[in-house]
Amino acid sequence: MSSGQQAGYSLQTRLLLAVTLVLTVFLGLTGFVLDSAFRNSLETGVTEQLQAQLYGLLAAVDEDAGEFYISENLREPRFSQLNSGLYGLISSPDQGELLRTPSALEFTLPAAPLTDNPEGELSRGETRFSRVVSDVGQIEYFEISYAVTWENRPQAIVFKVLESADSYLAEVTEFRTSLFSWFGALAALLLVSLLLLLRWGLSPLRRLARDLALIESGHAESLGHHYPSELSSVTQNLNLLIQSERKQQTRYRTTLGDLAHSLKTPLAVIQGEVSASAEQSLRHEERIERLAMVQEQLDRMNQIISYQLQRAVRSGTVGSLASQVNIKDTAAKICRALEKVYASKSVEFGQQIDARLLFLGDERDLMELLGNLLDNACKYGHGKVNISCALVSDSAQRLQLIVEDNGTGIGQEDCDRVLQRGVRLDTLAQGQGIGLAVVADIVQSYGGKISVERSQMLGGAAISILLGNIRLQG
Amino acid sequence: MRLLVVEDESLLRQQLVLGLQKAGFVVDDAADGKAGLFQALEYEYDAAIIDLGLPLLDGISVIRKLREAGRKYPVLILTARGDWQDKVAGLDAGADDYVVKPFRLEEIQARLNALLRRAAGFASPQITAGPISLDTSSKRVTVHGNPVELTAYEYKTLEYLILHIDQVVSKAELTDHLYAQDYDRDSNVLEVFIRRLRQKLDPDESLQPIDTVRGQGYRLRVMD
Repeated sequence: MSSGQQAGYSLQTRLLLAVTLVLTVFLGLTGFVLDSAFRNSLETGVTEQLQAQLYGLLAAVDEDAGEFYISENLREPRFSQLNSGLYGLISSPDQGELLRTPSALEFTLPAAPLTDNPEGELSRGETRFSRVVSDVGQIEYFEISYAVTWENRPQAIVFKVLESADSYLAEVTEFRTSLFSWFGALAALLLVSLLLLLRWGLSPLRRLARDLALIESGHAESLGHHYPSELSSVTQNLNLLIQSERKQQTRYRTTLGDLAHSLKTPLAVIQGEVSASAEQSLRHEERIERLAMVQEQLDRMNQIISYQLQRAVRSGTVGSLASQVNIKDTAAKICRALEKVYASKSVEFGQQIDARLLFLGDERDLMELLGNLLDNACKYGHGKVNISCALVSDSAQRLQLIVEDNGTGIGQEDCDRVLQRGVRLDTLAQGQGIGLAVVADIVQSYGGKISVERSQMLGGAAISILLGNIRLQG
Repeated sequence: MRLLVVEDESLLRQQLVLGLQKAGFVVDDAADGKAGLFQALEYEYDAAIIDLGLPLLDGISVIRKLREAGRKYPVLILTARGDWQDKVAGLDAGADDYVVKPFRLEEIQARLNALLRRAAGFASPQITAGPISLDTSSKRVTVHGNPVELTAYEYKTLEYLILHIDQVVSKAELTDHLYAQDYDRDSNVLEVFIRRLRQKLDPDESLQPIDTVRGQGYRLRVMD
């Protein structure tokens, strides 16, 4: 969460805000386009109409001895009706106004054109179209002017027809009103349906939050399985995480319990030895003997602590949350280290491991497993150690890992004791190393199998491990 | 043999230092990684014992820097956690062996002896030079199979010479590696030890195992 401000908006608010913005821009642009298209076509209609009126006027006007008059009945009745809103005027540049239609007898000609028309006089045969506003009452007019050559007059005669824009403006207003009310209704409908869709679409997330709250408060063990596919991988992984967390907790608790319990026996022995040693009458040899006993118990306690610590630290994470560790690299690293430790034995390591094999789990677990096995092989072998990994033929998902040496091997009765799974260390025999017990524990936690055999290759011990949590890279 | 012990736990450090001194080593100590690295680079040691969890500079970094600076003497690491990740990391950084805490002093001594021997090129604890045979673990010396009684200092002198057989070892080097720093370098104690060694190893003067190289020091001869 980079900024608290952003994190504050809910998903729903974000989507709604974004859609509202997009909708506003989209509807606004559409409205503008529709509006200008409508006005354009309306204006074209008006122009054509005015042109027709102009031609009608032109046909109805005649001249007699320099006086213009309307020779026949005008086809358009509005020309004859006073202040009808349609006015015709005839003028010439040198004589001024020559004739008005009856409708324009009280009409004041607007001075300024509304649209910026080219200034100057009309040349003969030219038509000019413009919008003007009257000085009185601010009424808007469409105006069409046409210059004609009249019989023997030297100057052009200008015919002008003006029509009030009232009906045009009313039509535009009406169009706009209906356009915007439709758009408004549409936008409201879209937003409401989006809100409903969002509530429906986001409901699994709300359910997830509710489920998590239930887990937090201890009312549920895990998330349900009824999530949509986009979320199910998240919830499955969350479930895994919760489970592994629980397992870890349980492991810590048992380890701690085991630890406390198993330390009490040696502590009791030491306690006894110390009080016995406090006696004055004790002979020197006896005291030495008792000290040796204390030392023995101390060793035992140390062993117990190391074993339980290793058990507690292990993660045992299996599944999609586990990391992938290259088995060959890890084994090579450990062999290199052991070569140093057992330099005086000059141990020869054979390694047959496919470089593509991956261990799905904690790197520490794999290191503990291989470290203990290889260390034992170096310790008890006579300078030859081999580690090999092979996929078991019946299924590609199982791996057999064998660590063998050329030592004396492990007797059958010892094998069983050493491999007893989950055995508490205070029940293990004295002086027995914890290495194999730790390995057995790790293998068990990954659902694998461990067995002690005799090495066919080297003649010594061969520890064979079957693991399912592996993957072949690439 | 001069050792460096780097350990931050003061009780454990004292125990180690005292125990190793008792076993005949000359021991310097440091309580944190920085001081340890300084000492490790400043003086020529025969071996170092370095704890992995150190304040100021962790053990692995100390070892890595030590090796980067070209110091080749063996390093033994102490680790409390004892898991393989720690051990492998330490050995990878350049350490030669490890001991997991808690440990017995005897174990440290055995590992140290093995490392020192290995560093000198001997595989087994039994080192022989002609008829002279020296066991670095039991610290017993025989000539022609007959045991020879040596004092601790005489033994240390012979051990150092035999680990550097056929090399001239200067008096200063011997003094550095055999005695604590405050030792009076001008005294002729070393010559006394050498003389007594010669008498004890070779009473009839038939072997003449230790040469005196004039102006340079002493050398244990390779004998048939």
